[in-house]
Amino acid sequence: MRRALVILLLVAVSLPLLLAVSQLPPHGDPDNPPHVHIAPRYLESGPEEAGAENVVTAVILNYRGFDTQGEVTVIFTAMAAVVAVLVMGSTGTAPAERSAAAVPVSVIVRFIVRVLAPFIAVFSVYVVLNGHVTPGGGFQGGTIAGALVIALTLILSEQDARALLPRRPERLLQAAAPITFFVVGIAGLVIAGDYLAYPRTEALRWLTTIMLTVVELGIGVGGAMVIATIFRTMGADR
Amino acid sequence: MSRVFDIVLLLLLIGCALAVVRLKDLLAAAIVFSSYSLLMCLLWLHRGAPDVAMTEAAVGAGVTTVLFLVTIARTTRKERS
Amino acid sequence: MIAALWQNLDYAASVALFCIGLYAIITKENLIKKFMGLNIMETAVFAFIVALGVVDGGEAPIMGPGVEAPFINPLPQALILTGIVVAVSTTALALSLVIRIWRQCGTIEADELREAE
Repeated sequence: MRRALVILLLVAVSLPLLLAVSQLPPHGDPDNPPHVHIAPRYLESGPEEAGAENVVTAVILNYRGFDTQGEVTVIFTAMAAVVAVLVMGSTGTAPAERSAAAVPVSVIVRFIVRVLAPFIAVFSVYVVLNGHVTPGGGFQGGTIAGALVIALTLILSEQDARALLPRRPERLLQAAAPITFFVVGIAGLVIAGDYLAYPRTEALRWLTTIMLTVVELGIGVGGAMVIATIFRTMGADR
Repeated sequence: MSRVFDIVLLLLLIGCALAVVRLKDLLAAAIVFSSYSLLMCLLWLHRGAPDVAMTEAAVGAGVTTVLFLVTIARTTRKERS
Repeated sequence: MIAALWQNLDYAASVALFCIGLYAIITKENLIKKFMGLNIMETAVFAFIVALGVVDGGEAPIMGPGVEAPFINPLPQALILTGIVVAVSTTALALSLVIRIWRQCGTIEADELREAE
């Protein structure tokens, strides 16, 4: 009985969606409304105005910069909420799980992670710095660096893993992305007259590139620290 | 030819999604979820969206799968019903 | 309608994935399985929006030497990048709540949690 109700609900949800989807303009037609109104402006004057050849990075950082500032604030808030849920207010009665019977990590995993770790680190820095010319960007490189820290945490001993991330400026690095956006926004206010506005003239092109690179580095470092902190908090007492 | 590749990729995606829903072992479901994320990344590469594909590969197969595995390690591995 | 659906095959596949995710959220009792279904729904919506921006015979929107028009629309891709980050944030918070529920109540099945209210 309940099964039949669920199937009925799914059919009732999917039929109007399929009807609506079949009446959309044909897939891939160059005269569709999304391709006609504002996308040509971004594609034509993207590289000159925004200073980035990758038009998607130009849209994220320059034309829609406020959305990216909101996004880095969201992921920072998620990290703060994870720490608040798991660490604070717990009475310390967490059951002692497998700490006595922990399975040692196999030799193959340890060897491969040790061999690959420097290449992954260099690749993540390359992806962050080349974000405005090739596909990539701040958050992609930051996630790769965060995944590298997770892999190293799995194979190193406790104190070595804790020494991977810097202890003193930890809070500052976790909030690196929103702070960088705010600083670059104030710089744009001072130089170009609007919050988070990059200079558009040909003479100040070098300044636009510097500001874009600073923002990308901030997003990369902040993203890596946030992901490493979330993993470390969720997998604590390991 | 590219149309055939499209259809095969979409069928594999739907198959992976069904497998994630139906598997009782949560560890197996997390691994199949990682392969679902990889297939989604391939679909976006085929559609000409390299930035989105790189983000999905790093985030979906890298971070979300690891978080699921950590949660399964801290709670249970089998679904009860 | 079937002919129009065959032409818009990407959109129909996104609707199918959305319904599979919805089925997982409604039917399954385990909390982790519910969040896997939520993730499937989210990626189905992302696939739909990225498929809206595709132009036939277009190139990826990265300007370099020798790359010609027509280009694929860069706007949906920028929106979906933010969407993916928000999806991973909500997944991280949801899974940490599941860990906390396991520590407090000893079970992560939704009907047992409802009984123990």
